[in-house]
Amino acid sequence: MIRALPVMLALAALLVGGQAQALNYIETPALADDVAAGRLPPIAERVPAEPAIETGRPGQPGGELRVLIGSARDTRLLAIIGYARLMAYTPSYDLVPDMLAGVDQKEQRIYTLHLRPGHRWSDGEPFTAEDFRYWWEDVANNEMLSPTGPPVALLREGEKPKVEVLDPLTVRYSWSAPMPTFLALLANASPITIYRPAHYLKQFHAKYADKAKLAALVADAHARNWAQLHNRMDNPVRNDNPDLPTLDPWVLKTKPPSERFVFERNPFYYRVDREGRQLPYIDRINAAVADSKIIPVKVGAGEADLQSRYLRFDNYTFLKAGEARNGYRVRLWKTGYGSQLALYPNLNVNDPVWRSLLRDVRFRRALSLAIDRHEINNVVYYGLAHEGQDTMLPGSPLYDEHNSTAWAAYDPAGARRLLDELGLTKRNGEGIRLLPDGRPLQIVVETAGTVAEEGDVLELIRDNWREVGIKLFAKPLQIELMHNRIFGGETMMSIDRGLENGLANAEMSPAVLAPTLQASWQWPRWGQYFETHGMSGEAPDMPMATELMNLARDWMNASDFEARQSIWKRMLAIRADRVLTIGLVAEVPQPVVVSDQLRNVPEQGIYNFDPGAFFGVYKPDRFWFVPEAPADQPS
Amino acid sequence: MFGYTVHRLLVMIPTLLAISLIVFIIIQLPPGDYLSTYMAELQAQGEAVNPQKLAYLREMYGLDRPAWQQYLYWVWGLLHGDMGYSFAYNLPVTQVVGDRLWLTFIVSVTCILFTWVVAFPIGIYSATHQYSWSDYGLTFLGFVGLATPNFLLALVMLYLANTWLGISIGGLMDDRFIDAPWSLAKFWSVLAHLWIPVIVIGTSGTAGMIRRLRANLLDELQKQYVVTARAKGLSPFRTLMKYPLRMSLNPFIADIGTLLPHVISGSAIVSVVLSLPTTGPMLLDALRAQDMYLAGSFLMCMALLTVLGVFLSDLALAALDPRIRLGAGSAK
Repeated sequence: MIRALPVMLALAALLVGGQAQALNYIETPALADDVAAGRLPPIAERVPAEPAIETGRPGQPGGELRVLIGSARDTRLLAIIGYARLMAYTPSYDLVPDMLAGVDQKEQRIYTLHLRPGHRWSDGEPFTAEDFRYWWEDVANNEMLSPTGPPVALLREGEKPKVEVLDPLTVRYSWSAPMPTFLALLANASPITIYRPAHYLKQFHAKYADKAKLAALVADAHARNWAQLHNRMDNPVRNDNPDLPTLDPWVLKTKPPSERFVFERNPFYYRVDREGRQLPYIDRINAAVADSKIIPVKVGAGEADLQSRYLRFDNYTFLKAGEARNGYRVRLWKTGYGSQLALYPNLNVNDPVWRSLLRDVRFRRALSLAIDRHEINNVVYYGLAHEGQDTMLPGSPLYDEHNSTAWAAYDPAGARRLLDELGLTKRNGEGIRLLPDGRPLQIVVETAGTVAEEGDVLELIRDNWREVGIKLFAKPLQIELMHNRIFGGETMMSIDRGLENGLANAEMSPAVLAPTLQASWQWPRWGQYFETHGMSGEAPDMPMATELMNLARDWMNASDFEARQSIWKRMLAIRADRVLTIGLVAEVPQPVVVSDQLRNVPEQGIYNFDPGAFFGVYKPDRFWFVPEAPADQPS
Repeated sequence: MFGYTVHRLLVMIPTLLAISLIVFIIIQLPPGDYLSTYMAELQAQGEAVNPQKLAYLREMYGLDRPAWQQYLYWVWGLLHGDMGYSFAYNLPVTQVVGDRLWLTFIVSVTCILFTWVVAFPIGIYSATHQYSWSDYGLTFLGFVGLATPNFLLALVMLYLANTWLGISIGGLMDDRFIDAPWSLAKFWSVLAHLWIPVIVIGTSGTAGMIRRLRANLLDELQKQYVVTARAKGLSPFRTLMKYPLRMSLNPFIADIGTLLPHVISGSAIVSVVLSLPTTGPMLLDALRAQDMYLAGSFLMCMALLTVLGVFLSDLALAALDPRIRLGAGSAK
């Protein structure tokens, strides 16, 4: 396959917000019949007056993309990888306007959003500032629909933004203090959607709908009240209502439940290629439901044109074997997790002896030093992974080799020395060290099986730790049960994926490095304390934690890039030096199966949820099929 | 006979109520509820979950109420034919179960037919040719079928069917026929996919049935009436069909009771492995996610069918075998 990919990616990075040139639009073949019959307006009236222009090499429209999903709930994935956002990340993670024609910001606190004139919902109704007003006033601030108020992420220390509609195409969000995260929130893989199709949803809203009609709709749907019905109909993230107008490249056409979901092209999509063809190129997406365990087998039999979800690294050889026979290629993309697997010592564990031990940085360092990461890499990942702590990856501008290697070298002697220093010198007959109260030093690591190879990795760590006199037990649990045990302080240590985003830059929020989330397994109680504004959980009572909290707050208030960057670096340095999580290996390749007929899928990509939205940053609306594809289904 | 029928029907009511209580308790036993599953799912996808939002959802789904209230609400709905609402699918339970029931029915009925078609001749043959080489051979085959784990057999057959015959993996039809109207091509596609689950699910059942038929028949074949019939000059085949075979059928009729629920529940594990669009995997998912109304209502349907099935098989037995007297036990 010959292609000028690097050039195209560079162009793609430049494309958004390009000047509208006098484009001669070319009608989409799949829609030509509808246009001729008058069911759809011609292309020039369907795209916005100033469409977003894709400057990469043009492809050809048509074809059906087959993908496999694990359950009907996965229709949400299409909303993620479709990646039509007000703001969007480029493949190099720069934040640029996408659906917006532009955005003006002042002092990082006043944001004026400009819509594209003539931009329409998938049902042809105009997309205007009214849709933003409807969401803010009638959904986010409606007590029935959102009893908890607008999303917390939009609040700045409890303060709601001021939302103004300046004219039908201009909306302004403003806060009294800097809110640097606002634009990034709009670009997330699962974004805060600050607009809704008002013209459609008003029929379910008590403020607008006719009372009798609404009552009938509520009764028909077996809903408890209108609010429940409204919320059920209005779920752009879940993407399970075929009637809900959308701005995504493909629109759900199948009403659940089904074993196969069909998505068809959005005839009013806002992007065109540089020759004037409306995107997306692909007419239809066919998402068949199969059990997640059988998906790799089906993919290996050539039943998907583009698949990454439910494929694991250990499927690689099997998939590779079917390449020639079934006309696809397996590509290995790098994953963006800070660590494929990390151990989380629970600093909030209930047991007082264990709590003081786990809170001692020397103990955490000893545990980390005693692990032979090179062995894990070679035994489980064929040596293809990156060994080191759970921190930024080499692809991030914030990467620092010191952080990655801090306390990560295999040094059992050093580990023993640290453990001796802690006074854990007594041993039982088995050679296991004893805790101060005489119990043996047995660490129970709870695992929920998020990552398939957890068991194998723990087996290797068990041998490593045994050598320094620590016994490890792996305890597999149902994921919900594990969460509850962690929140309740019963879990001593857990194993899970590392940092969600190992490719951050200084413009992204570092809040996850501070105790702000209950879902950070190393300090669930502190995170809960922050999330609930002190209603439950525990206040952080270690200087390190308070310092991280202060740094996260400083980041919000920082006025320039340098300040934000230095705060990030400081936080990462603390994290690495204090070994808050014990990272193992990162950048484990993700197999991505791509049909030989499919073009524009990068050979080398980064597979990450946020930022990245899996394929989202590579804009799947520009993927296209070589037309003579024998694998194409006749439509 | 009439009194017996009424009595049996009335006894069903407390039985079903007791079952509904047990089903509900067992579903509620694991810690957490559907929302904790939901939360775990969101977190796995990197979304933050606001605890207040959870509290709100819990209230909206009625999960904040005490368990007995939830139970009464559910049973009250069931009595009115309302099976409740599936949290995971965001749809009423009846709609979720919908067309799956139909496909499950096709698979199960075909399996039962397959089992009978294979097991009857083999069972009769091994009984009449006891301890011959052919008896040993067939018995051996039967045991192999019984002993091979179904899921393993399923995986092997899937792979072979795909590489040798080019049949798409899993499912009951090619993807393009899902939701398409029935046509000859679709029917053909279903047939092409159906034989794998039928053979896999059928083999274990076949072995059991061969053994039972053989044992029952051997008991009968020793009896004096068989000898008498033979002595009177009746041909061996007619003798066999007319007397001992009929006698040895009783256990199969008694089986109808368990057969009915089986027809709609399918074989869950094999269906999961083969990714069949039947009700088994749906039930398994619902139980794991604690989608309690979906799981509960479905289990109740199966309970109802079991109770009805046992009742029907009792009636059928009485009709077929005059030696069985209804209510003999209770009349004592």
